[in-house]
Amino acid sequence: MNRTLSVPSVKSRRTREAGILTLLAALIVIIFIVSMNTGFMRLSPLDVLHTLLGEGTKQQKLILFDFRLPRIVISLLIGAGFAVSGSILQGLSRNALAEPSTLGINAGAGFAVLIFISFVPATTAGPIFVLPLLALAGAALTATLIYFLSYRRADGLSPTRLILIGIAVGAGIYAFQLILSLRLDPQNYQFVAIWLAGKIWGGDWRFVLALLPWILILLPFAFYKARVLNVLNLGDETSKGLGLPLERERLLLLAAAVALAGACVSVSGGIGFVGLIAPHLARRLVGPRHQIMLPAAALIGALLLLTADSIGRWILQPTEIPTGIVVAIIGAPYFLYLLAKSKA
Amino acid sequence: MFSFNLQRSGSMKLAMAGLMTTTLLLSACGNNNAANNEAAATTAPAATTEATTAPAETAVEQTVTDAMGHKVTIPANPQRVLASYLEDYLVALGVTPVAQWSVTNGTMEYLAAELKDIPTISYDLPLEAVTSFAPDFTIVQSEGTVQNGLYDQLNKIAPTYVLGDEVSKDWRKSLLKIGELLNKTPEAEAAITAYDQKAADAKAKISAAIGDESVAILWLVSKSFFIVDETRSSGAVLYGDLGLKLPNLVTEIPAESRATWNPISLEKLSELTADHIILVNSDGADAAEVTDGAIWKGIPAVKAGNVHEFGRATSWLYSGPIANSKTIDDALSSLVK
Amino acid sequence: MVSSTRSNLNPSKAAEDKPIKSRPVAAATILVLGSAAIVFGLMLSVSLGAADIRLATVWEAVFRFNPELSQHQVIRELRIPRALAGALVGACFAVAGAIMQGMTRNPLADSGLLGLNAGAGAGLALAFAFAPSLSFMYIMIYCFIGAAAASLLVFGIGSLSHSGLTPLRLTLAGAAVSAMLLAVSQGIAILYHLSQDIAFWMAGGIGGANWTQLKIMSPWVAGALIGSLVLSRSITLLSLGRDVAAGLGQRTRLVQTAGMIIVVILAGAAVSTVGPIAFVGLMIPHITRYLVGVDYRWIIPCSAVLGSVLILFADIAARMINAPYETPIGALIAVFGVPFFIYLASKRKGEL
Repeated sequence: MNRTLSVPSVKSRRTREAGILTLLAALIVIIFIVSMNTGFMRLSPLDVLHTLLGEGTKQQKLILFDFRLPRIVISLLIGAGFAVSGSILQGLSRNALAEPSTLGINAGAGFAVLIFISFVPATTAGPIFVLPLLALAGAALTATLIYFLSYRRADGLSPTRLILIGIAVGAGIYAFQLILSLRLDPQNYQFVAIWLAGKIWGGDWRFVLALLPWILILLPFAFYKARVLNVLNLGDETSKGLGLPLERERLLLLAAAVALAGACVSVSGGIGFVGLIAPHLARRLVGPRHQIMLPAAALIGALLLLTADSIGRWILQPTEIPTGIVVAIIGAPYFLYLLAKSKA
Repeated sequence: MFSFNLQRSGSMKLAMAGLMTTTLLLSACGNNNAANNEAAATTAPAATTEATTAPAETAVEQTVTDAMGHKVTIPANPQRVLASYLEDYLVALGVTPVAQWSVTNGTMEYLAAELKDIPTISYDLPLEAVTSFAPDFTIVQSEGTVQNGLYDQLNKIAPTYVLGDEVSKDWRKSLLKIGELLNKTPEAEAAITAYDQKAADAKAKISAAIGDESVAILWLVSKSFFIVDETRSSGAVLYGDLGLKLPNLVTEIPAESRATWNPISLEKLSELTADHIILVNSDGADAAEVTDGAIWKGIPAVKAGNVHEFGRATSWLYSGPIANSKTIDDALSSLVK
Repeated sequence: MVSSTRSNLNPSKAAEDKPIKSRPVAAATILVLGSAAIVFGLMLSVSLGAADIRLATVWEAVFRFNPELSQHQVIRELRIPRALAGALVGACFAVAGAIMQGMTRNPLADSGLLGLNAGAGAGLALAFAFAPSLSFMYIMIYCFIGAAAASLLVFGIGSLSHSGLTPLRLTLAGAAVSAMLLAVSQGIAILYHLSQDIAFWMAGGIGGANWTQLKIMSPWVAGALIGSLVLSRSITLLSLGRDVAAGLGQRTRLVQTAGMIIVVILAGAAVSTVGPIAFVGLMIPHITRYLVGVDYRWIIPCSAVLGSVLILFADIAARMINAPYETPIGALIAVFGVPFFIYLASKRKGEL
């Protein structure tokens, strides 16, 4: 394996990887700052600085600490979450086109949240912490369904079939969503419609808190399992030969990917393509080793979503474009480009 | 057979929902339009700022509980009140709001004169926009508007009171409640008394003119019709306060499935037997596509020439002391010859 | 080289190598019974509606129309166009699907799944944005342009890569193009404050069909359907593989171009009238192929007939299931379409 390569090349690769990660982090910081300055109220960079140092007016503090910052943090967390979820799914299925939305997992999570919203009146306080759990349940159910539908005794789990079935199940869930949303009253319908379009609506620290545990546990878990993903990529035979308990590891990783996607969907609604693009770019920048590829993908995902969210807020002021729409318009062409290039 | 097919297509409800929320019930969007009501005699005084200073000496900070159970401490004498979609009540009480409700393409046009120089705020209350108006007291009409944590954030900007759907579906209760919150109970009571007097006079005149003929209120928007029942906006005025007779199509809707705006298919509309039709036309000139059709022309009231058309800028789709008062003026001018 | 293959692969030889199974008797039966079902469906559809109109009155309205009677007007102006539009778009979606499946040899081709419907929708959104209150004619043409752009994108992506148009690639490209064009439509809707118009159309359904639309769309649809019959033999050859077709002296590129134009017209016209309905073009050709064999000279007319039957009865069901309200027909058909798709996807052996 790569380890056996000569020392200087490992060293130069390490430097390069570190450089890229630093660069990504720097870009995030820059967009972070720009995003803090973006919005309906004009806050100059100087105002932002003053406010950060605790010298702003009450209004400025409110806008920065209570409205803009939580949303920025949520964008970062969701972007990283979708990206890592997509990376794991791509690693598991050995298919470059896998991601939570093509596999129908986002749709399942969304559907669970939609059911909850339709039957629990909007006035009930505190569904915020319930939503990730619900979305998780929906995502897990869908993943199980897709798994069983695409599993065949003869040739096991074919990656292409997995994706096709994922698309079909997604379409089916969409049909049920349509029927169900007809029964919602307009207020709730509006909420659901915007949420399904992928608008980050939880502009509140409590949403950060609801999401944070999932990210804090699952991201390090994925990084910890990076080696397993590397081995899985070598193919089933090799993995078995290397003494890996194949099915157990696969199931664990799949569960982590589904949980990440579910938790993110519960806060952000259906945002596709992030989980697809981020791993790809990461692989191009730092190569396929998951130890470095996963953190890079997480950073790229965070960067992508933060940028999309800032564009969505900025481009049509004061109207906001749901982040999901921005991501789709940026992401779909990239997806098509990958598709045209791929050999699968 | 479907005796109550209220919808041209089921998906209309979906569309309807989307529509309602984008325009929040009313395409107040208008540039052109007919039937601007000339009878601007309203019960309410025009908005003035001096009114807010009047009760200053008696005012004290009060703590109340709103429809969602929040304890809200209202400043002694709120100077900058934000009450999106409740501007009618503020104007009636002589309070000038800091901003007025709007959708992407319009405002409450029937209040255009009263709210002439008031800046607009989007119906979904973007937080930064709210902050920029620096309100010192916010009133929200419906629980649904502030779900999922929005209340807490609004409340950080200024004390926020949720009126609640229970109260806000009755304009008298809403007016009294808002009056109470703003230390203007006498003004609220006076406005109601004046309105009731006006309604009673109008009722006598209209009943003398048309007897017990029935009147239907139809809203035409995006080539679809909605029929107004007796529970909301101009329906409450016409059928409740003025005692007009409901048309057959409304009485046929089962009470439990009556929505604020009941969509009605052109096919069902062909069975409308009402003697008069109030047509609230939000489509402007595009309405011709429907109103030139054989089916519309075959409706008895249309044949008899008893269609009274009003444009988007009128108050028929809104509720509140001023809206209802203007609705009465319009009803008088169209039904009493 | 070419000449040698040609001599090897004369039509009869090709037929021997891979016999073109067709069952003319079954096909004729489908055409006769299907047409009867269409007539029955039309009558049923006209008889059912919101206004309580007696059956006798319905038939009087059809055969002894009296413009003075509002009930007759309802039948004439609302119910008949609705029923006819249902039959027409059913044929459109089904034939569009059949042609795409035949030409691309892709069992998962469907105008909804391959993004053509979303393309037509984006075209419509553009029409609303830049030229409000257009006549239906132009709206339809915008839908054609949108559908054409989407099909170029999807098929272009597919053919750009080495391994060509695999079903997986096509389906994924379709899903991605759909997602993108849907996002574009939503963006335009927000940008130009069109949410209401587009929401109404997206959810449109067959209930909104009127004579004007029918008059404008039917010549296009008729032309496209006749064109598809003319092409049907070539499509049969293409369905055996491009090499075979080329070997038999067919100008495959020409046939494919003509086929795509027909598909775009069919999908665009149908979508501009009733909104995006997926899965009809997926299911009907498969069922037809199962019944009548692989000859597209039979598949295309039979698909048209069965597609009409499906939409007509689905529309009737959509009105009856949740009686005062109508169930969206697109969702209703998806309830059957999704399992069908899954069945097709998992039936395939190994890699698709």
